[in-house]
Amino acid sequence: MAFGRARRRVVLRRGRYLLRLPDGERTLIRQLCDELRTLLALGPESPRLRRLYPEAYSEDPELEDEYRRLTQADLAASRAAAVDVVEATLDDDELTAEQLTAWMHAVNNLRLVIGTLLDVSDDEPLTIDPGDPEARERMLYGYLGMLLEEIVQAQLDA
Amino acid sequence: MESVPTAVPTEVDVPRGETRHAPDRPWVVIVWNDPINLMSYVVLVLQKLFGYNRAKATELMLDVHHKGRAVVANGTREKAELDVFRLHEHGLWATMQQD
Repeated sequence: MAFGRARRRVVLRRGRYLLRLPDGERTLIRQLCDELRTLLALGPESPRLRRLYPEAYSEDPELEDEYRRLTQADLAASRAAAVDVVEATLDDDELTAEQLTAWMHAVNNLRLVIGTLLDVSDDEPLTIDPGDPEARERMLYGYLGMLLEEIVQAQLDA
Repeated sequence: MESVPTAVPTEVDVPRGETRHAPDRPWVVIVWNDPINLMSYVVLVLQKLFGYNRAKATELMLDVHHKGRAVVANGTREKAELDVFRLHEHGLWATMQQD
């Protein structure tokens, strides 16, 4: 572990996960939960949510239709449920494994939606120009990536 | 003792796909490279959903990253569809096709 590294936000201790988030980040995540809930309400056909509802049968439109019909409501419900858990535990200092999984899903869903909006590609590094109209989204995308990495590492260490 | 009910043949609703796809060929579940999902996240999801150890999950993730795709599971159509659903639930870009 390098010197000077910021204090980890998510730490496993005795089967539970300590959540060490500054108040400002909790406020930000509350706002983002509101935004995600609004976006999820657009429904599975919204182009902004296309990364949340990928194709299963890319070679068979008929089976794909059936798959979408059978799964979309469940996928939508599980996304909304994850946001509910995050909102309910936003002020907590520790999370159960199950609650942390909900956080992981909500944070990843936000990244998928913002990454789609920014049209993120593998090749270009994410740069932030203050004059860029998408500067806020770029900063959020970077922040959520860091938070997700911490949530993932805490579980991989388990 | 309770009597054991004898099996009564009932009408079986065969999924439409089975009529066009050879039933004996297994289905494969493919995860595709995407620029958004974190590499560590993909490793964790593969460990959680399929019970792979860290080394195997990492190897599959690196295949996805470098070769653009990797087969992460296979089986009957029903099993593959459930696997794809769970991968979609985790935000991974997964599809299925017959091997």
